[in-house]
Parts: sequence; structure tokens; C-alpha cells
Amino acid sequence: MNTRKSLDKLVNELKERAKELNCLYKVQELLNDRKKTVDDVLRGIIEVLPPGWQYPEICQAKIEYQNLSYKSDHYQETPWVLNSDIVIQNEIVGMISVCYTEERPLIDEGPFLKEERKLIDTISGQLGFYLLHQRLKTVFEKKGPVPEEKKPEWWTILEMLKGTDPELLIRISRKMINYLGWSGIKEVEMLFDYFNPVYEKDSGLFKEVNRPYQAQKKDDLMFVSFEIFKMAEKHLSEKEILNNIHKWIKEDKSGFLVDILENTGSSLVEISNAIERFHHLLPHGLELSEPRKQSFRVALIRRLLSDQPEYINVAKRFIEINDFNELFKKIISIVGSHGKLGGKGAGLFLSKYILKKSTDKIPLLKEIKTPKTWYLTSDGLLNFIKYNNLEDIVEQKYKDIDQIRKEYPYISHVFKNSSFSPEVINGLSLALDDFGKVPLIIRSSSLLEDRFNTAFAGKYKSLFIANQGTKEKRLQELMDAIAEVYASTFGPDPIEYRREQGLLDFHEEMGILIQEVVGKKVGKYFLPAFAGVAFSHNDYRWSGRIKKEDGLVRIVPGLGTRAVDRLSDDYPVLFSPGQPNLRVNVTIDEIVRYSPKKTDVINLETNVFETIDIGTLLKERGADYPAVHQIVSVLAENYIQQPKKLGMDFQKDNHVVTFDGLINNTDFPEQIYSILKVLEEELNGPVDIEFAHDGKNFYLLQCRPLSYGKINQPALIPYDVSEEKIIFSANKFVPDGTISNISHVVYVDPKKYGELEDYEDLRAIGKAVGKLNNILPKRQFVLMGPGRWGSRGDIKLGVSVMYSDISNTSMLIEIARKQKNYVPELSFGTHFFQDLVESRIIYLPLYPDDQGIFFQERFFTGSENILGDLIPDLARFSEVIKVIDVSHTTGGKVLKILMNSNEEKAIALISESTHIVETNISKEKIFENIRENDIHWKWRLDFAENIAANLDPGRFGVKGFYVFGSTKNATARSSSDIDIIIHFQGTPEQRRDLLLWLEGWSLSLDHMNFLRTGYKTTGLLDVHIVTEEDIKKRDSYAIKIGAVTDAARPLPMGTRLKKEK
Amino acid sequence: MEKKTYNLFEAAQKQFDHAAELLELDGATRDFLRMPMREYHFTIPLHMDDGKVKIFRGFRVQHNDARGPAKGGIRFHPLETIDTVRALAMWMTWKTSVANIPLGGAKGGVICDPHHLSLGEQERLCRGWIRQVIKNVGPYSDVPAPDVMTNAQHMLWMLDEYEVITGERHPGFITGKPVGMGGSLGRREATGYGVIITVREALREMGIPPEDTTASVQGFGNVAKYAIELYQKMEGKVVCVSSWDENDQCSYSFQKKEGIDLNELSSISDSFGGIDKEKAADLGYAVLPGEAWLEQEVDILIPAALEDQITCENVDKISKRVKIIAEGANGPTTPEADEALNQKELFVIPDFLANAGGVVCSYFEQVQSNMNYFWEKDEVLGKLDAKMTSAYVAVSDFAKAHKLTMREAAYVISVNRVAQACRDRGWV
Repeated sequence: MNTRKSLDKLVNELKERAKELNCLYKVQELLNDRKKTVDDVLRGIIEVLPPGWQYPEICQAKIEYQNLSYKSDHYQETPWVLNSDIVIQNEIVGMISVCYTEERPLIDEGPFLKEERKLIDTISGQLGFYLLHQRLKTVFEKKGPVPEEKKPEWWTILEMLKGTDPELLIRISRKMINYLGWSGIKEVEMLFDYFNPVYEKDSGLFKEVNRPYQAQKKDDLMFVSFEIFKMAEKHLSEKEILNNIHKWIKEDKSGFLVDILENTGSSLVEISNAIERFHHLLPHGLELSEPRKQSFRVALIRRLLSDQPEYINVAKRFIEINDFNELFKKIISIVGSHGKLGGKGAGLFLSKYILKKSTDKIPLLKEIKTPKTWYLTSDGLLNFIKYNNLEDIVEQKYKDIDQIRKEYPYISHVFKNSSFSPEVINGLSLALDDFGKVPLIIRSSSLLEDRFNTAFAGKYKSLFIANQGTKEKRLQELMDAIAEVYASTFGPDPIEYRREQGLLDFHEEMGILIQEVVGKKVGKYFLPAFAGVAFSHNDYRWSGRIKKEDGLVRIVPGLGTRAVDRLSDDYPVLFSPGQPNLRVNVTIDEIVRYSPKKTDVINLETNVFETIDIGTLLKERGADYPAVHQIVSVLAENYIQQPKKLGMDFQKDNHVVTFDGLINNTDFPEQIYSILKVLEEELNGPVDIEFAHDGKNFYLLQCRPLSYGKINQPALIPYDVSEEKIIFSANKFVPDGTISNISHVVYVDPKKYGELEDYEDLRAIGKAVGKLNNILPKRQFVLMGPGRWGSRGDIKLGVSVMYSDISNTSMLIEIARKQKNYVPELSFGTHFFQDLVESRIIYLPLYPDDQGIFFQERFFTGSENILGDLIPDLARFSEVIKVIDVSHTTGGKVLKILMNSNEEKAIALISESTHIVETNISKEKIFENIRENDIHWKWRLDFAENIAANLDPGRFGVKGFYVFGSTKNATARSSSDIDIIIHFQGTPEQRRDLLLWLEGWSLSLDHMNFLRTGYKTTGLLDVHIVTEEDIKKRDSYAIKIGAVTDAARPLPMGTRLKKEK
Repeated sequence: MEKKTYNLFEAAQKQFDHAAELLELDGATRDFLRMPMREYHFTIPLHMDDGKVKIFRGFRVQHNDARGPAKGGIRFHPLETIDTVRALAMWMTWKTSVANIPLGGAKGGVICDPHHLSLGEQERLCRGWIRQVIKNVGPYSDVPAPDVMTNAQHMLWMLDEYEVITGERHPGFITGKPVGMGGSLGRREATGYGVIITVREALREMGIPPEDTTASVQGFGNVAKYAIELYQKMEGKVVCVSSWDENDQCSYSFQKKEGIDLNELSSISDSFGGIDKEKAADLGYAVLPGEAWLEQEVDILIPAALEDQITCENVDKISKRVKIIAEGANGPTTPEADEALNQKELFVIPDFLANAGGVVCSYFEQVQSNMNYFWEKDEVLGKLDAKMTSAYVAVSDFAKAHKLTMREAAYVISVNRVAQACRDRGWV
């Protein structure tokens, strides 16, 4: 029933549009017929108007022009009338009226459709130009045969203008003065007086004065006009004068657009109307000069897309005025809106046209699409707040972060229960009709996001909606999602981030992108064949043959969410589009281990976003999955085979996601490589993009300047560091990043390791590294060793470790010492490359024997080795493994490693344990982060002390209370727990009571941490109970007590109790 | 004086010397077997994708082919050395010999890291390897197989190059091929089944019916799964398995006193044998620390995961009830722990013998390829049983007769067979 109804509705609407178009064509036919007189034309229009209206049978038309009036036979004054002024050169010269003679249901404007309003305005506009043209013609013909004195052609035109459009004459004259002035003609200065408010000849400068100036009378100006042109004649050729006049008259026609665009007060609706009018003028040859076009483009870009000069500079070369006409049709805005599309919207819009304009050079780009998108302008949020009287919320960002966090769920709730203004609802309803029942993604597009030079990625919400069911339900779902995205502006994470970045006072507005989700239905799920992110610069190179410029793609089956985020339990497929044949994973074991096992989808039955097992989906619906043969490979015994399109057996065969077909057999790598290169070149810097693919077409979803995380920003490499401070330097395969405050170095001496004779000893070194990995402070130490970390088989050539043995290091460094006449090939971390990528452990190769490389071997071999103190069992390996407590060795300093991939340079320095880290991007930023971290450890330590002070040692049988780890080391992050060792010597009952007592603390501290940071765990205290025996045996955590380095700190117990007693 | 470094080949020679001592081999035989019979060193020019030419170094070492065509893998390894290849070739000789199959031992490789080569380059490298060495290898002289960083695809490229040059089809030139392209059925099961066949024979000798026994298994990969499958067919009860947890980066043991359900656990494990610990707990398994598999009150322990798992630190945690340790993995017991096990008089079926099912199946692949007739899986597994049983019985009898441990006996018997073949041929 419903579909039937909406189908009928659609057919009706189409019929109406057809009628309107037909009407417009007929009017144009009349206007273009040179044989017809004005009288004929006006009568003709009266005839053709009524059939274009919704109820032609009761429709009548009238045109009034100067003193003339034309009416259809039964025209009468009724309340149901649509009027539109006929304007010539800003002067109303007449009016077109269309009326219904009987009452009809009210729609947009009385009983008239809004399309009918557009229609009548368009017709009156065109009629205006026609009438102007006719007037000029008349004047021209009148003046035509004047034999006595041959006046120049420009004279005739000016004469003509004087009669028909004196205002235009004055405007043109003014332009001529400027033109002459710019051409350096001095005489023109005397004429400035006439056209400019105040002008001082002496200074040659305009001066503002406070008194009102006397406007010149029109007649005087007319006289001066001719004087100006006479003067021009002395200096310019007739042709030049004539060309200029032609140009200025043409430009003047688009004057209305200038008025609207340059006026910061004009609303989007006005701009939209002006653009549409402009668009309709085009068939009549509204030629604009390049500078004028440019100024229009820039004005439009500034109003709608971005006011950043960097953006405008690029955008004006690619976006045409008419491109905006299409765009405006998909913008939902409120009356008087001054909003913009926001960063994401602007970025995508620009990229789309950059790619479109580059198709001549690179035909592959022709296939690139962008998903259908509607936009809600950035001031929509303010409108929403105002409409629901929620003004108080604007001050939210200045509140305390824990208060913000506490109030956020409430704000979200309030927003979801607020309503949108009718005009927005109307717009959303239109958008839904346009989309149909396809799943949608509601993306934030704030002014802060995706700006040049700032990365504000992923801070605001993006929501998927299934968009199924009745129109009412779909509309409600859409509005809920928008409200939730709106609410995320006031969420604690973005506000905290803005505070850190010094952007809190930025006037933030939130645009919304309503975007069709690219994809196909597979069973009850909706998903793209595959999607992902791509970077034009590759910072994670797994082979020396891959250049930074070769780029990097992270790709997954299904929705791209799993490629955007770093995952802890799954992997995306990685490849470098510039070198697609050099794959990260080579052995079958690696390929299977690092293949994606899950996929994100939209469940169309339950209308929710889900993560499902890809294997199960393929077994059930493999045959329906788009382009599946390009995504998966068949895993047989010791063999991975690319399947053919036909004959895939999803029940029997074991499939793994490899994207082998896509990478080996299609244009995809070349296509995405071209996209990255074109965008990088035109946007003047590295970019990252999001994309999706439905099996047939490539869709660009987002494009922005490459964003850097906190640690992988390119470091500024200082050149004036004294040599003794440099521990090592590197100049090959250097990534970007800064690792500061390294407290410990684990150095496996390449020479000594090579000299180990016993296989068991070689294996023991790997195990020792694993033990150190568990003891040393997380992400505060670096691992350095010979050749290939993670070597299997011939482990003499690299320390045999698994990922779990190195998982806490901040960097993995491989040292390639020259051996006789060759330098061994390094692994680039390939044994666990993807684990390194997902946990952001930086890999760096060192070539100490290369020219110009620093390598202070003495630092590693000569510094005090604390291995034996840390793990007495391993003291026998002290020759091979050096564990250096940097602070102890250097008198309180730390090691800092600065890396810059563009310069291919990295240096490790001994530096003060200052928290200021210089980077190319922003000095304040990182400083702020560290300061934030300071807060995390400080209150943790306060509370640890507090707990100890409140603990009754007698009651619980406790002999000592220690704190260690990040709380003690002042490195705690928002997610860190508080590590505590309790030296216990009591009864089992006491132990139970103690743990219960501590659990109370743990839970309440966890809640406090949640309020501050948003991290929720099952308890913030990590309590390690050790006994007398453990301490004697130096077992497990007991070694921390009285340890040589990084020892646990004892805290006084029961102090508070005594006081209270 | 330059310090000596650890050398795999020297270690292999030392091991051989020990066996030669026990066998009281004559000097010539010792000298002959301490070194490979033939070594080929060659360069392979490779046209890279970018148009440049790079030169790679390749090897093939044929340690001994007295008992039949040499057999051994081809490794792609960036830091390959000739001594490593020599040692591995020698071990192949002993491995085919202990399984008593008519093959010798070889190994080969290329110094390269496939992580830095495209598939096209790898294919050309494989073909280049064959071109350089084709005169010295073949289905009746030296039969390659996949090894470190090579797989069935590389074997097919190599086979194709060999067949293009000879102009004939010789599927028996190489093993490790996919089923349907000259591969054998039953390869997946072979190693795990082989382990249990040796266990079955050991139990038979001890006079214990398998259905009265329980076992605990380390690992849940291919070897472990098929070992469990066959053991359960014999009505033995597996009460505990351990597996590596990728998320937690540690292993867990899963215990069910009334016996684990193989299908149930398989359905909640990933392709690497990682068992989902939450789902396992839901199914009633006790989730215990990784090492718990070793401490179970069982009759049989089967380490079938990694090397160096039974060490002097945990060897004392093994229950007194344990009668047999069957080494499904390579080198799961450290030498010190092995010593301790000997003192406890625990019966250890050494890796060398216990996991020989794999090499026996490779041999079957070669046999089937040579006659171009391929057996059904039952036939393959039936023949595997016969081969493994007789291999076990030979070692066990030898151990008893000469009062050796099973590990020593396996090694000595294999050296002895090769030495005998050399003598029979009149070489030494």
C-alpha cells in the first residue's frame, strides 16, 4: 500500500516538473524569436504560462509592463496569486502575476508549489533581460543613421545607455576612471572628485572624514561620463575602449551576484537563489571575465566551504560556479543561515573536483565516485540549541572536565529528546526521499575538523543508521542520530582535546554530512565489498625497497571502521600502492595470522551496526558477497590459491582474506596510487583518504591533510648538538616520531652475541629479553640488538623473540654491523610487523659503520650494566646483554630519540628530563600533553599515600606497602592503573579482609578516574601480595622491593589512624 | 685468538661423533659421513621488477644418498650460511634413515628475504635456482621440498621449470605439492597420527590397553589435533590441552576431567589452534595457566607445540603417573631436562622418531608421483601405520638390546643404516 502511494506521489511530482519545464521552454522560444515584437512576446507568454501550473484549468496570467497590461481572458483579482517583479537594471519596470480563480489546498506558498515560485522568478528574470535588450535595440536604431559627424562607436553606446540605463553609464564611467588611473594617467586625478567621497590630491590618498559628503547630482555625473571617455580617447585606442565597455556591461549583468556574495549579511538561501538565477542566465551567454569568475568562485568558497586562505587557494582552481548549483540542491539550511559545510564536507567536495579535473591526465580517475551526500550547515547546531532553549549548554566547554563527563550522558539524552525546527525537518524529509531506503552514515563535519594544519580526527561521532521501515521511523532515526552527533560536540573527549590544543575558544560549529553508505546487501547485512584508509606517505615500511612516497593502504572487508582504528584483536591488510607486489606477509603462516578475521556491517533486520565473523558470513552467504574472489584466497595445505570467480566452494574450502585478487589482478593499486598522488600534489602536502568499494566502483569518502598522532609527528632535528651528547644517529629508512624520556636501554651486544657458542645460550638471550620486557617500565625503554629481531631457525643472526617478548618496548632497533665485506640484511621487523604497527612500536635500523654515522659504542659497553641486579639468574649474560639505567648513568638525564623521515635523519640524545619536546607542528601541543599526564600520576600517588596512611597494619597483617610502576615513575596515563606491592604476613582471614578492603578503594578510585578521563576498568588498584619467602627468593614482584633500578617506593602506613586516635 | 662462535654444523658433527663412537665406526666411514658428499654453490642472476639485475647466492648440499635419492627442503633465508645448510642436510640423512625409507639427505636454499621480493621475482628466483642446479638434481637423484619461507607455490614453479627444460612430466621431482597437482592425501594427518602410532606401540610393549590411559597435550595445531583424533579413536582420554592465546600473548591450558571434546574445541579455535578461553569456560573447561598441561595426573604427555618446553625448571612438576612422553614438536625437551627424565626412567619417544610421519608422507608423495597413480587417503594412512610401526619397533628393540635411551637408539640406528649402505655399496 505504502509503496503504491509513494509511487503515485513520485509520478505526480515528475509530471509537475515536466509541465514546468515545458512552460519554461516555450517562454524561451518566444524570447528568442527575433521576428516577434515586444507586444507579441508578452501576449505569447500570457498564453503559455497557465499550462505550466499545477491546476492549469483554473490558472490565469497577467503581465504589467510600463503602462501596458496583458491578461488572459478570465484573469481576475483573487487571494490566490503569485507575483514576480520584472526588473531592468535594478529598477522595477513591471510584474508577472499568476492566479488561481478557485481555492485549492495550501502547499508551499499558498496553493502554489515552491517550484512554481522558482519558475515565475526565472521567467520574470529572463523577460527583464529581453526587455533591456529590446530597449537598447530601439535606441541603437534611433541613433543609427546620423550622417553629419562620424561619432566613434563607443559614443553611440554611451548615448544609448544615457537614454536607457543611466545608472549603468555611471558605473561604467567609474570603471573607466579606475582603468585610466591604474594605467598611470595623471589627468584623471581631477575626475576622482566626482566619483569618490573625499580625495586629497596632495597626498594621493583617500581619507576618511567624519562628516557626510555631498553626493553628486546625477546630471553632473552624466556630463562627466562623457568627459572621461573623451580623455580616454586620448590615451587608448578605440578598440580598447570598446572592448572594455563590452566587458563591463557584461559583467554588470552579474552584478546581483556580486551584491549577494560580497554582502556578508546575505543568507545561504539568498545565495542559493542567486546562483540558480545565474545558472539560468547562462544559456544567454553570460560571459564573465576570468578575474570576475575567480572572484565569484572565491566568494562562494569562502561563504560555503572554508575561509582558510590555504584552502581557497587550491579550491578556486578546481571548483566552478556552476558546481555550487548542484551542491545547493543538497544543502539543508535554516532561514538566514550563514553556515558552512564544515571541514569534512569541504574536504570531500574539493577532492571530488580535483579528481574530476585530473581525469584528462589520468583516465583511471574517471571511475572514482563520491557517495550521494546531503549537508546540514554548520550553524544548524546553534539553531537546534536555540529552538530548544538549550542556550546554557554553550558554556559547557569551560567547565571542569569531570563535570563535563558527568553531564555528558544527560546532554546526550536531552539532545535526543529535543526537536528540530520545521524547516530542518522538511529538509531532512526531502533528503530521505532522495536517498530512499539505503543505510546512511551521519558524519560530523565541524569547522575544526580537517582544517589545514590541524588534525582533529575522530573526536566527534559518526553514526550509521540502517534507514529501514516507514518514513516516520526513518526520519526519527535520522534526527536521533543527528542529535547524538550534535551532543558529541559537548562530550568530554573533544573538549579535553581542544583544551590541549589551545582551540577551546575557537568558535566551533558543527555541520552534518548525511551520506549514503556504499555497499550491497549480503543476506541480512549491508556492507561494502571492502573499505579502508590510504596515506600518500608511508611511515611503516617493511622493506628497504619501499619508498615513503609509495604510500600505504589499510584495507578490510566490509565497513572501513576496522581499518581506521587500530585494533587489538584483528588486523587490516596492508599494502603499498606504489609497490603493490612487495607484500608485508610472505609465508603462509604470516598471511593467515595477519589476515582480517572480522568485519563491520549494518544488520538490516535489527537496524544496528555489528561486528561479525567474516568466515561465518562467507560460509552462509559467500556467493552473494560482492567481488569476493578478489578479496579472499583459498587456504590449502601449505598453499594459498587465488580463486576464480566461478566454482568457489564456501562450504568446503577454507578462505582467508588476502586481497590478492584485488592487488594482483585489478587496477585498484594503480587507481588508489593515482588518487593519492593527484590529491597530494594539488593540496600541497601529504594526504590521507577514506574509501569504500561496492565491488564495482571506488568511492572516495573523505580526504584531509595527513594527520599525525601524538608520537609520530616528524621531529625537528637539531644541528647544533655537541657530539658527546649523541648516542647514535641513523640516515636510512627513518620513520617520523619523537620518543622522549627513555629511562632504560636494553642493548644486546652484536659482537658478543655472535660469539656465543652454545645454542641454549642463544635461546636464553631471547628469553632474557622477554623477562626484561615484563620488568622494565612500559614504553620507556628501547631494545637494541644485532641483525634480525625475531629470527627463527638460525637464531645466531638475530635474537629469537616472539612479539610477546618485546611488546612493551617503545622502539625496536636493529643494528647492522659490517661483517668482513658485507652488511647483513635487516628484517624491518617483518616477523611481527603488523603487531608493531597496531601497537605503534617504532622500528629503526642502524648502520653504525656507514660514513657520517655516530655510534657511541662506549655508552653501551662502558656504562654500568644492571642486568645482574635486576635478574640475578641472568648475571651470566652480562657480557651479552647490557641494561643501562640512563638516569643513573647520566646523572638524572634521559635518552631522547628524534626522527624525521623527510630528512632521513634520526638522532638519539642524552637530554634533560624536560618535558618540552620540539616538533615541527606545534611546540605547545606536546608540552600540554605531558602536563596532562602529570596530573594523572600525581593524584594517583596522592591516593596511594592516602590508602597507606589509612591502612591498619596490625588489623590486616601487613608489613610493608609499596608503590611502583607508572604512578611512582610519574608516567601514569589516563588509562594506567596504580601498581601496589603489599608485604603480607598474616592469616588467610586477614588476607581476605585486606583484599576486600582494598577492593573498595580500587572501585571508588576507578570511578574517580572515569570522571576525570573517561577510562573505565574493573578497578584501578593492581595489588601484588608478596610474602617474606618471596622477598627472600626475590620471586616475582618481590624483586621490585629494594631493587637497584626502578625500585618500588615504600609508603608509611597507618599514619592517619594514629592521628585520629 | 679469535673466539669461537656457535656453529650449527659443528654441533651436528659432534652429535654424529657421539653415535660413531657408540657404533665404533671406522675412520673412513666417520670422515665420509662427517662431511656432505656433494655441495653446489652457485649464483642466480635475477631480473628485478624495476629492470635492474641482482645476483643471489644459492646452495644445494647432498649429504648422503647411499640409501636412495637425496631428499630435503629448499630454504629462502636472508642470513643463510653454508654451515647451516650442511647441518640440516646431515639431519635429513638421519631422519629418512630412522623412518627406514629409501632416501638420503640433502638441503638447499637461497640467501634472500622474500619479504623484499615480489611474487614475480620469487618465481624467477625459483626458476633460476633450477636452471643452475638441474644437472645435479632429479626424481631419481635429489628431490627438493618446501622449507623455511617456501611453500607449495614455489615447488610448483620449480617443478614447472624442471619439466620445461627436460620436456617431460616428472611430478616425482619435488614434494610438498598441492593435492591435485601431484600432492598426496593424508599429509595433514600424517605427523599427528604418526606420533600416536608410536605411542600405541609403546603402550603395547608396556602391556597397557590404550582405553585405560589418559593424556595431556601441549598445543592445538595440526599435529596436536590429529594426534588427539587418533588417540581418541583408540579410546584414550585426553583430559587437558594447552594453546597460545594471541590476545593475551600467553598460553592457557584447558582441562576437562571427563575428557575433552575435539570437535567442540576445534569449533571455538582459530586457524592457529588458539582456543577461545571464554567460550571454553562456558563449555565447562577449567581454564588453567599455560604450564598446567605438564602437571596433569595422566599416563601420557604429548608436547606438540614449541621447542624448549620441558626444562630443568618444570621437569619436577611432571606427575609420577606419567609413563610416556611423545615428542610431537621438534626439540621440546632441553638437554638438561632430558637428563632428568632419563633418571626418572620416564619413557621418551624422541621427536626424531615420533614426528617422522611427515617425512614418511613426503616419501609416499614421491612414490605416487613417480608412478603417476595416487592413493585414497585410507591407503596412505594404512601404509603410514605400517611404516611408523616398523620404524618404532626397530628403534625400541635396538634400545633394549644395547641398553640405550630411545633418543640415543634412534640416532645410532639411523647412522648405522647409512653406514651400512655405504659399506654395502663398497664406498668405504
